Amino acid sequence: MSVGSPLNIGLILGAVIATAAVLIWVERRLLAVWQDRLGPNRLGPLGLLQVAADMIKILSKEDWVPPFADKGVFVFAPTVIMVTMLTAFAVVPIAPDVGIIDFNFGLLYFLALSSLSVYSAVLAGYASNNKYSLYGALRASAQTLSYEVFMGLSVMGVVMLAGTFDLRVIVEAQQNLWYIVPQCLGFAVFFIAALAESHRTPFDLPEAEHELVAGFHTEYSGIKFGMFFVGEYIGITLSSAMMVTLFFGGWHGPLLPPVVWFVLKTAVFIMLFILIRGSLPRPRYDQLMAFGWKVMLPLALVNLMLTGALVLMVGSDA
Amino acid sequence: MNVDRVQVESLVPLAIYFLLVLGVVGVMLAIPRFVAQRRRSQARDEPFESGILSVGDTHLHLGVHFWPIAIFFVIFDLEAIFIFAWAVAVREVGWPGYLEMLVFVSVLLAALVYLWKLGALDWRTRRQQLQDSLLSERG
Amino acid sequence: MTEAALQRPPPAAEPPEPDIVAALRGRLGPAGLLCHQPTQDGIPTCWVAADQVLPALRYLKDEAAPRYAMLFDLTAVDERLRRHRVGLPDSDFTLVYQLLSFDSNDWFRLKLALPAGTASAPSITGLWASANWYEREVFDLFGIEFVGHPNLRRIIMPPTWQGHPLRKDHPARATEMGLFSLPAERQAFEQEALRFVPEEWGMRRSGEDNDFLFLNLGPNHPSVHGVFRIALQLDGEEIVDAVPDIGYHHRGAEKMGERQSWHSYIPYTDRVDYLGGSLNNLPYVMAIEQMTGIEVPPRAQVIRVMISEFYRIASHLLFYGTFAQDVGQMSPVFYTFVDREKVFDIVESITGARMHSSFFRIGGVAADLPQGWDRRVREFVDWLPPRLDEYDGMVMQNGLLKRRTQGIGVYDTEQAIAWGVTGAGLRATGLAWDFRKARPYSGYENFEFEVPTGRNGDCYDRCAVRVDEMRQSVRIIRQCLAHMPEGPYKARHPLTTPPPKERTMHDIETLIQHFLSVSWGPVIPPGEGFACIEATKGLNGYYLTSDGGTMSYRTRIRTPSFPHLQLIPDMARGLMIADLIAILASIDFVMADVDR
Repeated sequence: MSVGSPLNIGLILGAVIATAAVLIWVERRLLAVWQDRLGPNRLGPLGLLQVAADMIKILSKEDWVPPFADKGVFVFAPTVIMVTMLTAFAVVPIAPDVGIIDFNFGLLYFLALSSLSVYSAVLAGYASNNKYSLYGALRASAQTLSYEVFMGLSVMGVVMLAGTFDLRVIVEAQQNLWYIVPQCLGFAVFFIAALAESHRTPFDLPEAEHELVAGFHTEYSGIKFGMFFVGEYIGITLSSAMMVTLFFGGWHGPLLPPVVWFVLKTAVFIMLFILIRGSLPRPRYDQLMAFGWKVMLPLALVNLMLTGALVLMVGSDA
Repeated sequence: MNVDRVQVESLVPLAIYFLLVLGVVGVMLAIPRFVAQRRRSQARDEPFESGILSVGDTHLHLGVHFWPIAIFFVIFDLEAIFIFAWAVAVREVGWPGYLEMLVFVSVLLAALVYLWKLGALDWRTRRQQLQDSLLSERG
Repeated sequence: MTEAALQRPPPAAEPPEPDIVAALRGRLGPAGLLCHQPTQDGIPTCWVAADQVLPALRYLKDEAAPRYAMLFDLTAVDERLRRHRVGLPDSDFTLVYQLLSFDSNDWFRLKLALPAGTASAPSITGLWASANWYEREVFDLFGIEFVGHPNLRRIIMPPTWQGHPLRKDHPARATEMGLFSLPAERQAFEQEALRFVPEEWGMRRSGEDNDFLFLNLGPNHPSVHGVFRIALQLDGEEIVDAVPDIGYHHRGAEKMGERQSWHSYIPYTDRVDYLGGSLNNLPYVMAIEQMTGIEVPPRAQVIRVMISEFYRIASHLLFYGTFAQDVGQMSPVFYTFVDREKVFDIVESITGARMHSSFFRIGGVAADLPQGWDRRVREFVDWLPPRLDEYDGMVMQNGLLKRRTQGIGVYDTEQAIAWGVTGAGLRATGLAWDFRKARPYSGYENFEFEVPTGRNGDCYDRCAVRVDEMRQSVRIIRQCLAHMPEGPYKARHPLTTPPPKERTMHDIETLIQHFLSVSWGPVIPPGEGFACIEATKGLNGYYLTSDGGTMSYRTRIRTPSFPHLQLIPDMARGLMIADLIAILASIDFVMADVDR
């Protein structure tokens, strides 16, 4: 088996979609555990068949496009997040022989696709012709524009250390030292930006239930709503995988096979996403924006210059 | 020439993967057309606005205060591209390159500080600002 | 004392005229102040001439000693079917203004007689901002016009409603009204009638360089705590203006009071503030006890206090969890619901029901405490305080939550009083005024507890006050536990419900009395009674009028949430949608408590 083999492609696509589906169950059960509840526990062992039930339900819901909506865009919007998030997975280096493509500019490719995903929320909000949706779209665009800027900057420290945008090279460079050590600041910024890009609590302003009912997807139902849902979970998985790749040594680890290490590390970050959802309140629009521009952006720039100096000093010594 | 061919060939798995992704999304969109129920009622043809008929619609002129964000984004994201290029070549360009970048980033930070002082990075409403300052006066 | 002697109304000993009445008489002259009416609740009650209402109220508000700073209630009575109103001025509709003084913690009631034909009165919105909704309510339910009101339109009933429900000639039951049906065109008509028209509220549709967006928040919205609607005028995220719209939860609780026996109305009171359960029974039964002169035995009083405080804790816990949830914190509500279940377990083991136990009776409570009640109560009072400490760290000390709620939705004590705000919303402005301390009832004077206050009158302080109140409630329950008196749990009085039964098999008089009292319910002597309590959300008062029958002639429920919602536009203007949600959460209202 090698990177890009048909088997690899099929298995990875299947695994990512399955992960997103199971995450629906994982999130509900985990939140329940943290909130003194049981969560879905009736269908199948541990309630696992809930995943199947949810899928059957959502697929058999009416495929409804509101007459007042901009129909083409309305249908197109949810596919954007699915396609961008799934396609972005192509560059994730899962293990030495597992992956879809070995790409020199893997990191840039990831950044580009993850910024494209915001179109999903923005288009959905505008196409819905609904006021709550409009607010969701406005918030989504403002928030993503702001957090986009320093998301890219935050990983440039890693690029400097490894000297490449190639994710596989970056992972291999971490054999002895995970980049979380020299890049803890960069990781913090990247983590927050990734939370914001995935529209997860506390950055769920575009769909803030308590304020905008369901925000940009208020008018969505059935499978098109399901796509936002699944797209969000794929996004979480992708962000977690990137954190592992960039800062936590990717597949490196003792004893266990590389794939297992990769999956375990990714799972930890997925659960961290869920834990954060269970614990933090939501900031206000202006607070979110101010935080991005006044705290995160300067931090990312400072981290950049410090790392540059570090790289050059260590380099000149050697 | 040869190098180009190698790169194109290495993109084949990506293309296959992309087509597969499109296929999956297509199938997901198609299934409900065959299995889903269909219902009609008057209320579902109205945009949801908490159960009340809407006043006006969503096509409206927004105040100018929304647009600065877009402009800041264009400015800062463009500059970020230069930084990307430097980041990958940091060892090659060495200390001279570092100094140039330091100047560049300082200018960027100065611009940020300027916008900050200008109040352009404060999205609070006037009353929010007032209440916050009252609150900090009281301690 | 024989049973027959007990049945007489309490001696209506002519009380000396209160000083304030004499002062008002001096001010208005004998032609202005028509008469002073003695009532069983002892509240100074004066009838004034139509042209003297405004001067009288202005005097009471600004100049009198004590000053009556708050318009506590404004309502009306349709007097056209009254039989027992000797010595009172002729009146078809009587307007009743009830004032509250914070100088003397005392009430004052002003009445204005109106003829049926052209019932209209001067608006007092210029004196009290809070009069706006009260006058709209009276207009809606009685058809009385208020001259000078800024926007006199229906508030409780739908805009398309025909007639005025609290008039005696309006049907009280659906069976008197013909079959209800809602064909499609009728539905479309009703929907259209609800559409918000900005111009009706003096709003413009566009500003200088932008269009305003009008957004309906509610009645079907996750954060409006029931069916509450606010029409928002928005400029981007900023709220330019807001118009609250209520009435979607109106169930005619006051009208139902006129069709239920005095006893069978008790369960309705549970459901007015449906989070307060039996706490709401208290002002109702206390008002009847006042009208009949029933003395409630000490054990019953302490049981009432204990149950009330349990319900206060249950309501505040729900508030606490949903408050955190509305600013986006998902988990605390689940923890507080666990605690709330524990409260309900105890309430259930004492009363047999959970949320709406209807446990209080005229003259006492429904049953004695069960064996072993103290063990469960003790467990709870040891359980809750550590949990509250934990929530402090999770919610109150959370930086994000503080930034979302501090300095948001601010009003000061003066504003609060002008708008009729009571309860935690008033105390959060720094005024340590709790009705349980100001005018103790049901033996609260025997308990030690503190009145928590806030400093800034913002959302955060309103929450903090309620959190501290839960600790004080635990303290009160501990005292109930330690000092529960022995003795009967209900007064021995023939008008208590259900009536005493022990002697029915000994003499025919008592048997007949018991039979009538059970099948018809007690006959309450004619008169007026008013009782008020510090309920979960503020001051809750019942103003009852008896015409000597088995049913109330007029049941007025003054609920705290009604005036609180009126303050929303002032609190929210110039803030953002997210702030409005925090404000709504901090008010702690339920729509049944607003619409009744």
